[in-house]
Amino acid sequence: MTAETVVADDELRGQLSRLNALLVLSMLMTESTNEQQIISLGASAAPSFAACRLVGVFTHDGETTVWTPGDDEIIEAPPEILDLPSDGGAVEIAGSEWVWAYSLGGISTSIGHMVVAASQEIDQDGRFLLRVLAQQIGAAIRNSRLHQFERIAAAELASVNSQLESTVHALAQRIEIHDRLTLAAVSGEGMEGIANAVHDVTGLPVIIEDRFGNLRAWAGPGGAPSFSKDPPARREQLLRRLLREGQSTWESGRVMCVASPRPNSVGVIALIDPDRQARSEDLAALEYGATILSMELARLHTVADTAVRVRRDLVEDLLSGTGGTSAVQRGEAFQHDLNLPHRVVVFEGRGRTRDEDQFFTAVRRAARDFGLGSLLVARAGTVVLLTDRDVKWEDVQANVIRELAGGHCRIGVGGLTQVPDDFPTSHREALLSLNLINGKTGEHHVVAFDDLGVYRLLASTKDSREIEKFVTQWLGSLLEYDERRNSELVHTLYRYLECGGHYDETAGALLIHRSTLKYRLQRIREISQLSIGDADVNFNLQLACRAWGTLKALGSTGRS
Amino acid sequence: MVNSVPFGPTGMSVSVGDHICAFYRSSTGRDEILVPFLQVGLDRGDKCIAVLDQADPAKLRSQLETNTDPDTTDTDDQLAVMNSKDTYLKGGKFSKMAMLDFWESAVGDSVKEDKYPFARSVGEMTWALRQLPGVEDLLEYEAELNHFLLKYPQVVLCLYDLDQFDGRVVVDLLRTHPKILLCGTLLDNPYYLEPHEFLNRRAQIAT
Repeated sequence: MTAETVVADDELRGQLSRLNALLVLSMLMTESTNEQQIISLGASAAPSFAACRLVGVFTHDGETTVWTPGDDEIIEAPPEILDLPSDGGAVEIAGSEWVWAYSLGGISTSIGHMVVAASQEIDQDGRFLLRVLAQQIGAAIRNSRLHQFERIAAAELASVNSQLESTVHALAQRIEIHDRLTLAAVSGEGMEGIANAVHDVTGLPVIIEDRFGNLRAWAGPGGAPSFSKDPPARREQLLRRLLREGQSTWESGRVMCVASPRPNSVGVIALIDPDRQARSEDLAALEYGATILSMELARLHTVADTAVRVRRDLVEDLLSGTGGTSAVQRGEAFQHDLNLPHRVVVFEGRGRTRDEDQFFTAVRRAARDFGLGSLLVARAGTVVLLTDRDVKWEDVQANVIRELAGGHCRIGVGGLTQVPDDFPTSHREALLSLNLINGKTGEHHVVAFDDLGVYRLLASTKDSREIEKFVTQWLGSLLEYDERRNSELVHTLYRYLECGGHYDETAGALLIHRSTLKYRLQRIREISQLSIGDADVNFNLQLACRAWGTLKALGSTGRS
Repeated sequence: MVNSVPFGPTGMSVSVGDHICAFYRSSTGRDEILVPFLQVGLDRGDKCIAVLDQADPAKLRSQLETNTDPDTTDTDDQLAVMNSKDTYLKGGKFSKMAMLDFWESAVGDSVKEDKYPFARSVGEMTWALRQLPGVEDLLEYEAELNHFLLKYPQVVLCLYDLDQFDGRVVVDLLRTHPKILLCGTLLDNPYYLEPHEFLNRRAQIAT
């Protein structure tokens, strides 16, 4: 082996050693995920591959540009670096004879340059190793960036998956809440069912109140919770606030939600939660519970409205005599056996104000208190009740007055029905009785047709012409005078006779002075040419007056 | 005498007389190499010598003894765990000759007296980052160590932290070690330079 061969082998071995080291260094750089670690490890190895020193590394990622100096001598990037072609080239640096920028990566994929300097141009082998080193640094950085990008993407994906999982979990909970509450809504369990369902879902005690703060339903451990009711004004203020906010609201240790399917229908559902433990899903359950409560309130009102309408239609049909068999069946729906003897009772009156609803409510409550049933309607300024019970109607009248807190009430009680077709007759009798009250003194507030005596006899006469003849025979001249002079001689005579001929009592009933009464009686004697003191005349005149009153009352009831 | 012995980490085997340069990142990466290397040695009955710089000697000993059968293994004698201050940097400086003497004593005495058929040594090399006298002779020491490895049935593992040593040192280490352990892979380096070659080339580059 010649000396030249030995030198060549030695050179070759040295080059292979450096190539091997470069290969392993590339593996180490590729294994790293930190860009700065790669630059630090790779670029600092440059002097091991050629007799040079590292000036620095310039990298860019499309947004930012970074210059990493190789040592303390040069701290700023050579300005030419920015203008170099992507495959690198020579760079001018004062004090260095040979400076070269090697591309980090290929021509089209360069992400910067590694700049090295030497006191003289380094040999071909050294330049090759430095170029490969720079390419490997670029490849490792690209790999690192890709890895970083994938890691960020994976983290974002994991975050999205986590959010999705949370969303799905929340959705599943909401579906469970909806299912549970919907089941309560459709199962007909009413407000108790709604309270139980919300309690099951939230684990917190639940109450349902009406608009006045009265407890309507509750669910939870122990007994029913008791809360002092707010004053009406404050309660109304709270309800207005809940309606305005339209969502669950904390108030006095409770989180409340209002249900109001229509303006006059309001309910409140609340979680008892003094420690504010309710989670967002609990509040969602409460708000959905309020929706179900709204449905329940709407259903109850619809049922109530329907019941009122059906009841009113039934009563109207019975009073007009058009009910027939179906009326009996509809009566059964209200637990009324219309085949039993009934009476029609007519109430007339008002409270301190002209509020017909107030009067109707007072009569309805009185009917409820006395167990008179619920077949009652408002009709032509009166309230008509159909009942199969007999009570002391004066007590009912007193009850109505009490409910009205004043005002007045008159009651006309019709005769008993034997069959449903008798209701129109009983109604007329009640109206007749009511109208006759108006002809009596102020002490009479209740008149039953059964107690009318001769009035009943007169009213029951099918043909009134004979009665009219009788009235005309005895009172014709007075009636003619009253009509001509717009006077009240017949009414005065009627009161005088009904009061048994007592002056003072008659004057009091007519609200006139005693001398006026005497004058009127004198005019009656003169016009009628009759002696009132004669017993036979007195009887016929009293009968004629009662017949006149009956005809007048019958005329008011619509019967000619 | 067998030519191949189990290495430990990742279940690999190495040849008798191998000088292995292992690169790692973080203390966890270091322990993943260090602990199995010594554990296999203890289990095989090898003399195990560890010279640590940043790792805790007591913790390492405790960790190894936990997994060693006390009835069959006398770790007090078989396992020697030392600190770099008492070895590499004894006296506040590094002397390659003193360190080679240390290995001669530590390994040679164990193997020559037939107490142990084989020795495995490991050095945590971060001590070389300190600015102390003689530290610049690290690569010459590593090159010289290849000669010492031929004297006894043994393997030597040198641990280098990639986050602390710069690329120039790493390349020089790659060129002077016949075997490289990185990323869990044991690589042969057929083109590693013999000590005299490396030292000559280094001198040439310097001039």
